[in-house]
Amino acid sequence: MEYAIELKGISKQFGPLFANKNVSLQLKKGEILALLGENGSGKTTLMNMLSGIYMPDSGSIFIDGKKVSISSPEDSAKLGIGMVHQHFKLVERFTALDNIRIGLRDNKGLLLKKDTKEQVMKQAERFGFEIDPDKLVSNMSVSEKQTLEILKVLCYGAKIIILDEPTAVLTVQEIDKLFKVLRKMKEEGHSIIIITHKLNEVMDVSDRVTVLRHGEYIDTVVTKETDEKRLTELMVGRKIDLDISCPVIEKTKPLLEIRGLTVKNDEGAVAVDHLDFYIRGGEILGVAGIAGSGQKELCEAIAGLRPVIDGKIIHKGDNIVGLSPHKILEKGISMSFIPEDRLGMGLAPSLSITDNMILKNYADNKGPFIDRKSAREEAKKVIERLKVVTPSTETPVRKLSGGNVQKVLLGREIKSGPNVLITAYPVRGLDIGSSYMIYDILNEQKKKDVGILFIGEDIDVMMALCDKIMVICHGRLQGVVNSNHTTKEEIGLMMTGALDLVDKGGKTAGIAKDSVIEDAEDKNKAEDAGL
Amino acid sequence: MKKYHLVRRSGQSIKRLLIYYLIGITISMGIGAVLLWSLGINPFEYYGRMLTIGMVGNKYAYKNVEGLLKILVPLLITSLALGLSFKMRFWNIGGEGEFLIGAISAAIVAFNVTGLPRPLTILLMCIAAMLSSGLLGLAVAFFKVRFNTNETLVTLMLNYIMLYLITYLGKTKEDWNFFLDPKSARPIFGKFPESAIMDGIKIGNFNLLWSVIIAVALIIFIYIYLKYTKHGYEISVVGDSAATAKYAGMKVSRIIMRTMFISSAMIGLAAGLTASASGTISETVTNNVGWTGIVVAWLGKLSVPAIAVTSVLIAILQFGCKTAATKYPSIDSNFADLLQGIILFSVLTADFCATFTLKKKEDAKK
Repeated sequence: MEYAIELKGISKQFGPLFANKNVSLQLKKGEILALLGENGSGKTTLMNMLSGIYMPDSGSIFIDGKKVSISSPEDSAKLGIGMVHQHFKLVERFTALDNIRIGLRDNKGLLLKKDTKEQVMKQAERFGFEIDPDKLVSNMSVSEKQTLEILKVLCYGAKIIILDEPTAVLTVQEIDKLFKVLRKMKEEGHSIIIITHKLNEVMDVSDRVTVLRHGEYIDTVVTKETDEKRLTELMVGRKIDLDISCPVIEKTKPLLEIRGLTVKNDEGAVAVDHLDFYIRGGEILGVAGIAGSGQKELCEAIAGLRPVIDGKIIHKGDNIVGLSPHKILEKGISMSFIPEDRLGMGLAPSLSITDNMILKNYADNKGPFIDRKSAREEAKKVIERLKVVTPSTETPVRKLSGGNVQKVLLGREIKSGPNVLITAYPVRGLDIGSSYMIYDILNEQKKKDVGILFIGEDIDVMMALCDKIMVICHGRLQGVVNSNHTTKEEIGLMMTGALDLVDKGGKTAGIAKDSVIEDAEDKNKAEDAGL
Repeated sequence: MKKYHLVRRSGQSIKRLLIYYLIGITISMGIGAVLLWSLGINPFEYYGRMLTIGMVGNKYAYKNVEGLLKILVPLLITSLALGLSFKMRFWNIGGEGEFLIGAISAAIVAFNVTGLPRPLTILLMCIAAMLSSGLLGLAVAFFKVRFNTNETLVTLMLNYIMLYLITYLGKTKEDWNFFLDPKSARPIFGKFPESAIMDGIKIGNFNLLWSVIIAVALIIFIYIYLKYTKHGYEISVVGDSAATAKYAGMKVSRIIMRTMFISSAMIGLAAGLTASASGTISETVTNNVGWTGIVVAWLGKLSVPAIAVTSVLIAILQFGCKTAATKYPSIDSNFADLLQGIILFSVLTADFCATFTLKKKEDAKK
């Protein structure tokens, strides 16, 4: 049988680390192959070797049965391979059509071809894409951008399409739409590789699954003949309990109440728009929303890092708006934000674990010097308690693996014994094992009556872990739902703004019954907002 | 089909680095030897003089040590100062300009303040130099944090402004221009009054200038400052990740401005000491330390002890080349510059080779 792609014995080394070790893979013509593996298992590296970004150290690549060498993205495109990267590669200031034009290689002569638009639209119709060719990319939603990326590689004549974690940024409804397109593409004879670590999606869309673990090839199975449990075992290498516990704790009065909070983003646009919500001690409140719906600005505003335009943040009865970040920290409100690159905020990557421990309170030591001795003690404690794998306390944080980096960050945030813990994307990029350890840490804090704001990406996880989920869209509250009484579809609809549950059943979401904020004030507030 | 590609080496080994440096220097000196030999000079003799900075068989050997130290002190202080700002990822390439404004300010004090005891005069000169340079650096940092200007461009432009300022002062024969020698008909910079010229501790015939002692004290001070103080900690965090510093509640703008002020003020101090030690100023008062300092700071990988060692080696190279060149009429100091360039280039190449290696691609085993 002739395969669309056959990889034989591919290895790729970065320094002493094997990103891929003797990996083999076969993609049949006209099938959807899921490439499954935890973060850091080498999925993206392997695919980057197909798209010409990396060269394999050893091994051979066969396309349609012929041995090939791919040393640039140009080579890859000529062989009919198109990759849709996790981070889109689009020119923001160009229209959809112009973005497609950039890479078209049939354009001879000086003038732009006039029929390109027609061609593009024909392709879009064939696969059922909804796209406006004259829309600027900067005005597009994430899902539109992704559609454009896929259409782009199809217009370049790709027969083999690789999608790197395409669902990570999409809502449930958008994912369904994407899968429909993928199936359509399959019918038209395209071969597809989809990289993911979400099992339900694998079961849903793929024909076969190839599993990688720690850069090594593990197995390829037919999707119909397997189940999620079996796939997890292949992926993690051991049996794992997939249930996230959500212990029920006696809740305290509202610890943190937020009323009418309005915050602007760096560009000066309103990012958080008159938001109301509250957190009690002993509960985890999840925040769901499409990426960039104001999550970052919300975190920064609570931590005192971003000016509050309007509204109140009441912590144990005191308004903390306008206090310095240091004062807010002293009140026991601790915030950690894991950005996309995972090292950019919260930790200084080149500094040791010891030095990172005192990042937020180094200034408390009297005199001009820093107190490294007690910092080292704290580092030792965190390493011991959270089982951080590191050669020593003096190891630079960037040399640790992703899971350990995030443990160090969370460890620092909880060592001071906060009463409100705000954590954004704490399991971003972590493998299953490490993620579960982070959930355990959060649950432990919850049992200590800490109020936790959990800003997450994976709705399944939030429904299992959080007591309640608050959904925001464009910085506006869409409602707060009890995670036992909701569905993924409902949350998905709220995330896109299609469903608004703020005033469901005469009760306004986000305002506590036993609020410490005076009612009279609220009425004034409501009148102000009405005007 | 490409058979080889570049790969970063795993782990860093000091030993490997030193071996590569040695190989690099040997090769560059080999090239220099061929050049010397083609000019009819015995390369061994030349290198012998260069490496011993002309001290062997010289009755006035101590004079050469004094000369070496005069080159070393400004280079050392400037490299340390630049290292401070580089550590914060603030690309201050304005060492030249900061040095020049410092030297001009020191000269203003030297020419106008008379009648004070020598230590006091020199102290005033140094303070004037540090303040003027420091404020210049502070201004650059202010524009950076306030308007996000590009510090590389701004400092580079300031270098030229300061160079033309001192050139103007040195070429303009007018009544107001106290910088010039009043006795000379042609415009030349005047000599400082006796009370503005630095002296030192006499050890036999050898005169150990106070500036050397100050430089050594600065090495220790900066080492402690970076490693153990809150300020030093803030600099490393800001340099590593400004976003993290902001998240930790640090006042990033203030840290950048403070550090740039200290860094430039140190360069001003170097200028004040240099002007006082030479007793005058000129367009070439910097001896290019603003540029060489950048190379030294990076060769020393921004570590204080390594910067100290590197600046000593570079100073020996510079001074040695010049002394060796004086003995041979067929070459001049330009040859010294050429040789320096070759050696620096090979050291940087060695650095690259010690970090990366070539790897061969293998096919799959069938």
